[in-house]
Amino acid sequence: MSKYFQVVRNTFQEYLVYRLNFIMWRVRTIIQFLLVYFLWLVIFQNNQVVFGYEKAQILTYILGVWVLRALVLATRTDGVGGEIARGDLSLYLLRPISYIKYWFSRDISDKIFNIGFFIVEAAILIFLLRPPLVFQANLLLILFTLVSIVLAALLLFGLSFLLGLHAFWAPESEWGGSRFLFNIVLEFLSGGLFPLDILPAFLFKFLQILPFSYLIFFPLNVYLGKLTTVQIFQGLVVMGFWLIVINWAIRLVWQRGLKVYSAVGR
Amino acid sequence: MLGSVKSLFRRQYQEVKAVDGVSFTIDEGELVGFIGPNGAGKTTTLKCLSGLLYPNSGIVSVLGFNPWQRKTEFQKQFALVMGQKNQLWWDLPAMETFILNKEIYEVPNEQFKKTLNELTRLLEVEEILKIQVRKLSLGQRMKCELIAALLHSPKVLFLDEPTIGLDVVMQKKMCDFIKEYNRRYKATIILTSHYMGDVKELCERVVIIDKGKIVFDGKLEEIIKKFADHKIISVTLAKEADPKKFDEIGKVEEYDYPRLIFSIKRKDVPGVAAQVLEKLPVADLNIEEPSIEDIIRELFTGKNYV
Repeated sequence: MSKYFQVVRNTFQEYLVYRLNFIMWRVRTIIQFLLVYFLWLVIFQNNQVVFGYEKAQILTYILGVWVLRALVLATRTDGVGGEIARGDLSLYLLRPISYIKYWFSRDISDKIFNIGFFIVEAAILIFLLRPPLVFQANLLLILFTLVSIVLAALLLFGLSFLLGLHAFWAPESEWGGSRFLFNIVLEFLSGGLFPLDILPAFLFKFLQILPFSYLIFFPLNVYLGKLTTVQIFQGLVVMGFWLIVINWAIRLVWQRGLKVYSAVGR
Repeated sequence: MLGSVKSLFRRQYQEVKAVDGVSFTIDEGELVGFIGPNGAGKTTTLKCLSGLLYPNSGIVSVLGFNPWQRKTEFQKQFALVMGQKNQLWWDLPAMETFILNKEIYEVPNEQFKKTLNELTRLLEVEEILKIQVRKLSLGQRMKCELIAALLHSPKVLFLDEPTIGLDVVMQKKMCDFIKEYNRRYKATIILTSHYMGDVKELCERVVIIDKGKIVFDGKLEEIIKKFADHKIISVTLAKEADPKKFDEIGKVEEYDYPRLIFSIKRKDVPGVAAQVLEKLPVADLNIEEPSIEDIIRELFTGKNYV
């Protein structure tokens, strides 16, 4: 266990070295937030309720998106494909360390760092903008929200890691073509741009079968109290289902991949 | 260019055997040199022994383990050092990687301190452990890589080009260190290198591989007996002589007055030597075995192996 703690620690130290890069990343998320924030503010100028959302609910939603970008979407696993393609994976295969746990540790480090910065930034922006927000008082809903966030983080980690593994067969994934596509699809399908229930009903129904909407849209809707208890449990079951499927897929792909792995680059 | 466009639509694959029928056994505590020209299959073999590559057929057993299964007990007892791959964290001081490896290999505190002290002293790197790896020189980094790989005191060590890019002083130090490590820990070591100097200094036994097949496995001196069918007669002339005469005597390898070198079949040596003394103004004459470098160069340049 302590080996993975050391990975967390080293990753943390790395961030302290790469200050500029990290700050740029944070600035980007703040700008992303402000863009969407002002867009919705304009939409609500002449309306009280839009797409079934009140102003406070939407503003809470997009603030929530910002949190979940740090807690769920932020991941370091975009480096997995490159390591496999360059043959750097060998360095881990030689040592008694699990490659997936190694990356998970790095992600934990990343999330701790991100959330630390988020709290400071959010405090400043909320103080300056003073938006109307929804404060959930129901402890049970808060608990469900937290559970769904943890599951969402695991889900994203699994999806992203799995995506990286295809470098065993397609070394060009180091260039990030597939990663780029993944990120764009993810942004949209997870509800990072707008709440998904404003889409046509059949499309929304379909998205609820896929894992993506559970990364952002679902946890935030739980928090906003828009879901019945049955719907919450349904959602958690779907998440559990996808976690099992992805876990199984990772195992399969990893084992197959190692057999074709040629440990290039000496 | 046309080939690249074509490969976008229809790609042809060709099966290449990187190693084929490579069999050898190495005893505990042996230090074996593994040599061959570029692309011969040296690194491929080491990767099979380390469990990085999955062999399509054949059996690999190291310390009684199948490396491919990558069991923790196995990994804790061996290390592969690749001259051109870094495991050090590029942006952190080497010390942080050492601590990580200590945790990964579950090395007890006391032992870690002791090993680290020994290694840093032997390799003279005490001062650079706290410096960001990216700021180190190649040689310094190579030494730190070696330390990172040895912190768990592996019983079996595969060194792939450990002296690549090092200056002569460092090369010597690295060699001394490897020798010392082998002696002190009774470690079994396989070493690949392009520098015959390394191999000559370190290894009693060498395995030569070419085009994926083993062409020689035995003591270093035996290479000479097995492959050198000729000897070198080197002559120092007292005064200039007519070069035409040389060719009548035997095959001239090199002539640069006053040095004259013949390469002569073993059985012809006595006769040729007598002729040289008789027909040429000789100041000095030596009969030598050809150097190992020369023999191996000849081997690699497409001579048929016996």
